[in-house]
Amino acid sequence: MAEKSNEILRVNHLKKYFPVPAGMLHAVDDISFTIDNGKTLGVVGESGCGKSTMGRAILRLHEPTSGEVYFQGKDVLALDKQGMKQLRRDMQIIFQDPYASLNPRMTVSEAIAAPLLVQKIYSRRDKAEIEKRVREIMDLVGLANRLINTYPHELDGGRRQRIGIARALALNPKFIVCDEPVSALDVSIQAQILNLMADLQDELGLTYLFITHDLSVVKYVSDDILVMYLGQMVEKAPSDKLFKKPMHPYTQALLSAIPIPDPDLPMNRITMKGELTSPVNPGIGCRFAKRCPYAKDECSQQEMVLTEEEPGHFVTCLRVQRGEI
Amino acid sequence: MSELLLDIKGLSIIYSTEDGVVEALNKANLQLHKGESLGLVGETGAGKTTLARGIMRLIPNPPGKITGGEIFYEGKDLLKLKDKEMRQLRGRKISMIFQDPMTSLNPVMTAGDQIREVILTHNPGMSKKEGRKQAEEMLEMVGINASRYDDYPHQFSGGMKQRVVIAIALACNPELLIADEPTTALDVTIQAQVLEMIHDLKQKNNTAMLLITHDLGVVAQNCDTVAIIYAGEIVEYGTLRQVYKNILHPYTEGLFGSIPSLDTTSTRLNAIDGMMPDPTLLPKGCKFADRCKFAEKRCLEKDPELITLSDGHKVRCFRYEQEGK
Amino acid sequence: MEENRITNETAPVKKQRSLWDEAWRRFRKNKTAMGGLIYLSILVIIAISTTVIDWVTKNQVYKNYIIKQDLLHRLKGPSAQHIFGQDEFGRDIFLRMLWGTRYSLFMGALAIIFALIIGGFLGALAGYYGKKVDAVIMRAMDILLAIPSMLLATAIVAALGTSLVNVLIAIGISYIPTFARTVRASVLTVKDRDFIEAARAIGCDDSEIIFKYIVMNALAPIIVQATLGLAGAILSIAGLSFLGLGIQPPTPEWGAMLSNARTYIRDAWHVTVMPGLGIMLTILSLNLMGDGLRDALDPKLKN
Repeated sequence: MAEKSNEILRVNHLKKYFPVPAGMLHAVDDISFTIDNGKTLGVVGESGCGKSTMGRAILRLHEPTSGEVYFQGKDVLALDKQGMKQLRRDMQIIFQDPYASLNPRMTVSEAIAAPLLVQKIYSRRDKAEIEKRVREIMDLVGLANRLINTYPHELDGGRRQRIGIARALALNPKFIVCDEPVSALDVSIQAQILNLMADLQDELGLTYLFITHDLSVVKYVSDDILVMYLGQMVEKAPSDKLFKKPMHPYTQALLSAIPIPDPDLPMNRITMKGELTSPVNPGIGCRFAKRCPYAKDECSQQEMVLTEEEPGHFVTCLRVQRGEI
Repeated sequence: MSELLLDIKGLSIIYSTEDGVVEALNKANLQLHKGESLGLVGETGAGKTTLARGIMRLIPNPPGKITGGEIFYEGKDLLKLKDKEMRQLRGRKISMIFQDPMTSLNPVMTAGDQIREVILTHNPGMSKKEGRKQAEEMLEMVGINASRYDDYPHQFSGGMKQRVVIAIALACNPELLIADEPTTALDVTIQAQVLEMIHDLKQKNNTAMLLITHDLGVVAQNCDTVAIIYAGEIVEYGTLRQVYKNILHPYTEGLFGSIPSLDTTSTRLNAIDGMMPDPTLLPKGCKFADRCKFAEKRCLEKDPELITLSDGHKVRCFRYEQEGK
Repeated sequence: MEENRITNETAPVKKQRSLWDEAWRRFRKNKTAMGGLIYLSILVIIAISTTVIDWVTKNQVYKNYIIKQDLLHRLKGPSAQHIFGQDEFGRDIFLRMLWGTRYSLFMGALAIIFALIIGGFLGALAGYYGKKVDAVIMRAMDILLAIPSMLLATAIVAALGTSLVNVLIAIGISYIPTFARTVRASVLTVKDRDFIEAARAIGCDDSEIIFKYIVMNALAPIIVQATLGLAGAILSIAGLSFLGLGIQPPTPEWGAMLSNARTYIRDAWHVTVMPGLGIMLTILSLNLMGDGLRDALDPKLKN
């Protein structure tokens, strides 16, 4: 795989296991992808599929078990403490729960100024400079200046999420992991935040790793979509391709379960049978096999490989790869 | 049309808080027929849960208080029933699924026993063994392996707990099921499965359902009639087709514009600007006026009435005054 | 967007209302807790003024009124001149109680501060680092906790000898596990919140995270525990003195006063009742205040 000039992030065979009493929890198991500068990779999957863990492992908020992460060609996992602190200026994260992700004891301006101080962009004495920068960022994310001294608990979810975005933007990052940034918000507020994030991407040339369980949101924001199931990657394709022609049986089932807000388009749900495979010591093979309508014995007997079935369309399903479905 | 089951007339509920009086629900009118499903759609704080709790007479007092209106259930006014009669109605004829599964399960009883308890109460004379068998069936029906009958609630994940709650609510074959965001915490595939299950059980027992949600997709796939609620007032009310295919109220339009569509590739959402007014400081005129692109002077001064159009479609907006007459 | 429209408007900057302000607002509404606070404030003022008086008069007042005996009027009941009556050596009980306030209050506070610093530090380490650190520290605390606190304090005083400092250390040590547990528990609840992860994502190191993010948010239960602990500590000091292991006569410590007076309980009620009431009211107001603080600081009331 030759490195493209436009590539900003490359993840190779990323794994994150957690020891649990029953064994090893394979939260993220062998995920590989690249993201081009200024693009959005959507990561979609159901709760517990490891998508959040993956986002945090890339930022080393959880130390990955194995694998490689290259950010602008730099080996992220090889960096020492100082190097990592430096890199955090370029890689930021926005959290799902705007209520839990802000320190309740910090005002809006303190929250936004915190990264500037921690990274020593300004010294604590440059009060005027800091305030100027804080106001700039607040304007950028559409937070009224009069809210500068309020505490998060006085604000609604939409505004809190704007603070969360502001904090992530304070250091002028190039890449942001967005961990379900709109899932906790009401529909109309969600739309405002999604529009804001799209505007910021255009204006600042940001690259997003957009983690969500909401399929209509992921379709709307992403250039490419990666589908995860129980820690494994099952499919990756350009957004419209994935929705038009999902290849993996899991993706097909997932898409068929979206309730469409139109009474004339009834759902045609693909039923998934059987039991969820446990992500603790799962063994080899496809973890979806037990619920898959097309599964054969081989599916649980050999390691899965990711192949490019069509240009840009990657899938790990054995039977798709054999051209059987 | 089948028999009228629930008829809510002019229901108003307030909460007295430190910060002032919250008019949580203002003169709500709703009708629900036997076997029918009514979707109540609105955002956080719009008064959906208050309405549901009002029907069950579960408004915590203080701070809450029902200040006016009538709730007829099979011709009887629920607000005039004695507490004992109301208790008998709850759980036997009317069942409720709460949004938060953590609070609705007994932590010291196994999930299976909690379901069996309901089944046995409603089937006097049934043996414990038979009860267990039915409870196991209910568990399987909500997608939980029957082998987990003897597990305690804390051993289940959040989504699974909610499924147990649903199993309990449906185990007594209620005439009316009030479901307050029953699937919000669930994954999309599980959501589809649970909704399908609720649908089948409803069909079998001719249960009516009040489905409270913020998800227009869920309503489209599961309801016959829809009411849109905003800042404590029902702003649009009609059959599914009327509301979805002939959107009248600007807020409803905004809600639809806020959902990313699966089949178009627009780059911006038609978000509604601003946010819901502070419930302690509701404007004197139309509650939506300051976010509405059609707002005129009189919208700020006078609150419009709910206007009924010739086809029965109701809307709370001055723009339809002429058609209403 | 709506927000942008008002961004550059000259709307006044919204007034800061921190969680502390809100807690104070809620606390003020709680009448019993406010009563406790007022009573305690009076005690603090008394304790400070008696100390100042002694310092200014070079202990003359103390020598002439507090410990000077007047055996002619021993065990005299309350009168206009001696409103709480006189004790077994004819000393004015009211004045002795005023002078005794500082021992209970300041020693209790010192013991709690001592326990809070050591226990809090250990608890924070245990909670934040978890695993082995947690296991070692908390098992040690369990051992301490397994010994009844009064017994532990008695043993420490007996071993080190009776002195103010030893009493203080004894009571302080017996409260360490309580604070270690409280702090550990609150650190655990805060530790997994997203804002800690957010702090890590902007490059904060462990000490910044522990002090700026975790401890700041874990303060509420610690304050409540300290208030309630203070009540216990005052009681322990009085108890040790009562047993003769704490502060020695003729120092007018409430527990010691109670202990000396108990022989005369049949002859003169006021000798025991007055110091007893003093101890009881102090403990009661601390407990009321602690409860009020817990209600006021409870984050569940917010959000």
